[in-house]
Amino acid sequence: MVQQRPRWWPKFSSTLRSTAVTARIGLVLGIAIAVLFVTGLLSHYQYEPWSWLPEPAKPVWGYRLTQGIHVATGIATIPLLLFKLWSVYPNQFRFPPIRSIKHAVERLTVAILVSVALVQVTTGFLNVLNWYPFPWYFVTVHRLLAYVLVGSILLHIGVKLPDIGYGLRAKVVEADVLTEIPWSENPESHSNAGTLPPPPTPGITRRGMLAAAGASVGVVILTSVGQTITPLERLGLLAPRQWTRGPQGVPVNRTAEQARVIAAATSPTWTLQVVGPRPYRLTLADLDPMAVHEARLPVNCVEGWSVGANWRGLSLLEVVLRAGGTADSRIQLISIEQDWGFNHSFMAGPQLSAALLATHLNGQRLDVDHGYPLRLISPNRAGVLNTKWLGRIEVLS
Amino acid sequence: MKAWRIILAAAGIALGAFGVFRLLTEISTYSLVILAVWLLAALVIQDAILAPSAVGVGWLLRRYVPDRGRRYLQIALIMSALITVVAVPMIFLRGTQPAVKALLLRNYGFNLILIIAIIGVINLILYAVRVARDRALAPAHQTSARQAGH
Repeated sequence: MVQQRPRWWPKFSSTLRSTAVTARIGLVLGIAIAVLFVTGLLSHYQYEPWSWLPEPAKPVWGYRLTQGIHVATGIATIPLLLFKLWSVYPNQFRFPPIRSIKHAVERLTVAILVSVALVQVTTGFLNVLNWYPFPWYFVTVHRLLAYVLVGSILLHIGVKLPDIGYGLRAKVVEADVLTEIPWSENPESHSNAGTLPPPPTPGITRRGMLAAAGASVGVVILTSVGQTITPLERLGLLAPRQWTRGPQGVPVNRTAEQARVIAAATSPTWTLQVVGPRPYRLTLADLDPMAVHEARLPVNCVEGWSVGANWRGLSLLEVVLRAGGTADSRIQLISIEQDWGFNHSFMAGPQLSAALLATHLNGQRLDVDHGYPLRLISPNRAGVLNTKWLGRIEVLS
Repeated sequence: MKAWRIILAAAGIALGAFGVFRLLTEISTYSLVILAVWLLAALVIQDAILAPSAVGVGWLLRRYVPDRGRRYLQIALIMSALITVVAVPMIFLRGTQPAVKALLLRNYGFNLILIIAIIGVINLILYAVRVARDRALAPAHQTSARQAGH
């Protein structure tokens, strides 16, 4: 039953909006969020792996790929989401605003979906930009909000499935005009009125609009993805990171100054304490004769930038074996940095045999911002877990 | 279809409730209050500022810009707006980080203007081509040319 609307009630006259348009954007957006959810969970697993299923060491570019996709997709989701919300904006002006308890619940869940989606992409992007204008710990809230977001999307798909079906089957040019009156109740809407001539779109067409939005997403991706697809750096007009401008060709996420380690890390009396069944110490002079192992491994940050680099250093496995550990040991690597949650990391499984304790980066002695005198670098491992400024390695089992 | 709808909705409610439960139990009350402010602010910014602005601009264009040129202007504006949203935080945060992080060093304001200028020029060319083609066709096929524009 359509009640009489007040005369001042907003009326949407554009013929560009259509269930067919919304369903198509929604499909792309849904795929994007599915990709974000899966790659996000994979990233979370980097931080908290189950002991019986340690992170693999192969492919070495695994995390580089999945997290690069996560951040690139997340940035691309910002314009996609806004376009999607524009396409359904008239739904906010249905009359009466609340028709029934069921309708009220649906509007509430859509409000949750929309607000969580907006906050997720916004705070995710701000995390990439290293700006935290909020009091909570980003990693935890981002993951928990992802459950709420994906849950509310599944519910939304369940509720809207008939509309989605109609929208995807209908031709973009011919389908209904989406206004503040839902198509199921609008007698003049195409789906109710049988075959009608396509609604006129004298300016941009619906296809043109979809193409423009798609091109925007393309431009955003192309101009930002150079922060992880390194040959595209020169196109990176909107890329947050610029790997060529980092020391030794690699950007830094936590600087030596932020970590307050400059004095201790550059001290000539620095030692590495190795704790295990046969504990020992390594001094600066001990490092270079052992630093004969080379590897090409990417630095891949949780914030979505990455760059391949040539590393030289000690074999972590050799250091562990000498302390009485084995390739199956679980170890803890501890930085000389104090008072920071990521001043240590744990390692077990295949990465232990593949990792280096690096002394050199791209042919030069490690810069202090890259973890001089000694840092961990492992294949397929989030950057923050490649502990810098090592002071102590513990063989735990 | 009905079974699918129920399965999707039930799975969604379960996952969403799991997330909400863990937020409520693991996050401090203070952070939850600020998070609620963020969630509300997101809705207000979207529904009361961004979307109405886009609707308003669309209405103005329909009202005042002739059909033939409008589509090119619309393409340029849609693209510029969507790209600008991504660029704005970087414009504001440029230069806030230590140099060795190689983060936010670019001139994003200039780069955004450059991108918008390229989009504008491409659409201007497309519009000029369209006008020229219409003129070339006009004497012989006046009606069909006008319809091709739809």
